[in-house]
Amino acid sequence: MIASLSGLTTEFVATKINYGAVLPMLVVFGAAMIGVLVEAFAPRAVRYGAQVGVALVGLVAAFMAVVLAVGHQGSTLAGAVVIDGPALFLQGTILALSVLSVLAMAERFDGIGADAFTAQGAAAPGSPQESAAVRAGATTTEVFPLTMFAIGGMLLFPAAGDLLTMFVALEVLSLPLYILSGLASRRRLLSQEASLKYFLLGAFSSAFFLFGAALLFGYSGSMDLGVIAKAIGTQSGMDGLLVPGVLLVLVGLLFKIGAVPFHSWTPDVYQGAPTPVTGFMAACTKVAAFGAILRFVYVGVGDSRWDWAPALWAVAILTMVVGAVLSITQTDVKRLLAYSSIAHAGFVLTGLLAFDRVGVSSVMFYVVAYGFSTIAAFAIVSLVRDGGSEATHLSQWAGLGRTHPIVAGAFAFLLLAFAGIPLTSGFTAKFAVFSAAIGHGATPLAVVGVLASAIAAFVYVRVIVLMYFTESGGDSVRVVPPSILTSAAVTIGVAMTLVLGVVPAPLLDLASRSALFLR
Amino acid sequence: MTSGGEAVLFWILAPVSVLGALGLLLVRKAVHVALGMAVVMINLGIFYIAQNAEFLGIVQIVVYTGAVMMLFIFVLMLIGVDSSDSLVETIKGQKIAGLLLSTGLGVALFAAIGSATFASPIGLKEVNAGGNITGMAVLIFGKYVWAFEVTSALLITAALAAMVLAHRERLTPRPTQRQWSERRFQVGKNLAGLPAPGVYARRNAVDTPALLPDGTPSEASVPRVLTAREQVNDPEPYAGAERAIEREIEEGTNR
Repeated sequence: MIASLSGLTTEFVATKINYGAVLPMLVVFGAAMIGVLVEAFAPRAVRYGAQVGVALVGLVAAFMAVVLAVGHQGSTLAGAVVIDGPALFLQGTILALSVLSVLAMAERFDGIGADAFTAQGAAAPGSPQESAAVRAGATTTEVFPLTMFAIGGMLLFPAAGDLLTMFVALEVLSLPLYILSGLASRRRLLSQEASLKYFLLGAFSSAFFLFGAALLFGYSGSMDLGVIAKAIGTQSGMDGLLVPGVLLVLVGLLFKIGAVPFHSWTPDVYQGAPTPVTGFMAACTKVAAFGAILRFVYVGVGDSRWDWAPALWAVAILTMVVGAVLSITQTDVKRLLAYSSIAHAGFVLTGLLAFDRVGVSSVMFYVVAYGFSTIAAFAIVSLVRDGGSEATHLSQWAGLGRTHPIVAGAFAFLLLAFAGIPLTSGFTAKFAVFSAAIGHGATPLAVVGVLASAIAAFVYVRVIVLMYFTESGGDSVRVVPPSILTSAAVTIGVAMTLVLGVVPAPLLDLASRSALFLR
Repeated sequence: MTSGGEAVLFWILAPVSVLGALGLLLVRKAVHVALGMAVVMINLGIFYIAQNAEFLGIVQIVVYTGAVMMLFIFVLMLIGVDSSDSLVETIKGQKIAGLLLSTGLGVALFAAIGSATFASPIGLKEVNAGGNITGMAVLIFGKYVWAFEVTSALLITAALAAMVLAHRERLTPRPTQRQWSERRFQVGKNLAGLPAPGVYARRNAVDTPALLPDGTPSEASVPRVLTAREQVNDPEPYAGAERAIEREIEEGTNR
């Protein structure tokens, strides 16, 4: 960077922007800003429809822009944004999963606003102000522009070519998520606690990321991943900056995927956040964060991996084992799925640690498969109600298979996918990451992974047994008939889980064709 | 260390900022913590300026010490200057475990970074050739223009979030004076409005109730919120003092 600045006293040359390559991000941010304007100027009655429309149209348009951007691949904005195969694949994934998430978030059953979100975020839980807001028909339609901003950050995260852009993307995707977590319409104190916890720990992990980025800047004299990679071969005597720098940046990134020991926020936040938001976080944030880790590790610091990969091995093993073992003791469906998501993060890390092109494609396939299943699973959780609130305690799910066979059947199928049973996407995905790990010297990780899957499978089967072979405790638990929105989200999620299990070849092929990072 | 003057500056200010940083951790009162933070921030600003990064130094002082610290102090004023954190451990052994782990991390980082051999610093002379601020501008609007633009999304999110979490939109029209009055007559209570708080010779604040004809304090004359917070004053001393003065005056006239 310093070298490139020496001749700058003459005249400022504007950075070239390849608009075709950044169009998806521009569309999403544009839709978010239109959403803000709708919030400011549209009358309350039309806001819900307008916001959902703007969000969905924006996401579909951005997806098409991703398809168009295939012809605009390359590094743009002086290397700050790199649009290559993995970036485009993950951006497309994020957008597709976001459509499902927005559909689930927009569910309003027979109410006036999105059902999962509070009528007025500023009203104290249980206060007269809150009930007045509910009576007056207030809705928090701001959640849609907030979601769009988060999606915009997620699109940039795996495409960031330098650590500064990556950090800005990390903040842009995180800040709306902190707010969204705190806006649940029921059990609001739990939701607000989750939001605050996520915010504080997220800020903490961002500080780690920044500290690491500063050390890597000290090491290589640049924030650029490419320059850092070059410096690893030539710079000598500065490993004292490199290794801590890499590890600290990884702490910031691993926090986002909920890897052990940076996972402690996951169960609380997944439980407290509105259920569709939990699905959104579990699917899309993981996709974006794994994209960023892939780019950082494969493009940036991969050549020095002998120094820090053992730490990542330890994290992967801990993540799989702790996630699987702790999910046994859970009694709450959302917490169970949270620990399951931790275990899945560990499985994906084994693919990442293959340090090969196959590793990249297996990771990308895994996050797609897991994303579709998890959004559908959380959407189903939001349908099972006891009285007015969600019946998240496991005992309330007893006998659901008899009273509501279709919903319970779909959930059981998704659980089988999480367990990795053949003919579901979970099996193909697990097979891909484990075979990548075995093929490239990470066999112990794959062995631990298989054992952890077996433990996790026990948990999922227990839930299925509970739903089908246990007498229901009471008849107050029922499934609320969903509208077309949630039905579509669940149907697409379940269908993708089945399709990727039966005919995974096209997507695996696409993933392996787009697995090459631009350096 | 490039020059002797810079070394002197560093060795004077570095201990001061370390003391300020330690104060952040060890001092109990929130205002003192804020002051400690301000000391650290100002020192950092001076360090930046000493290292040829004038713009960064000024921004550090203006933004952090000026704006952020002022917000910090405002928040302290709102929640009460006297409030201090509860130091009760909710998880047993957390303090010791945290201390051990953070010391371990600190030692590991010190050892690792200390073992690095640094090349001679390039310095900012070259970058600052066209002026410090010009150099910054070239970076912000050149290479990092995308990060700069995307930061605006962050600011909009922050504004939106503040509105969502803190703005209580009025959902029903505010009743007018006339409507209040009509409502009082319909109910048939407090026709002339609620009584005003007590006015005494030595106090006329809203937290001191007025006295009813029989001498008891009227609860209706103080705001509900103060009653709920138990911040209502006892009017007896003020009323008593007033009665004493009245008595003295009366006795004086009798004499």
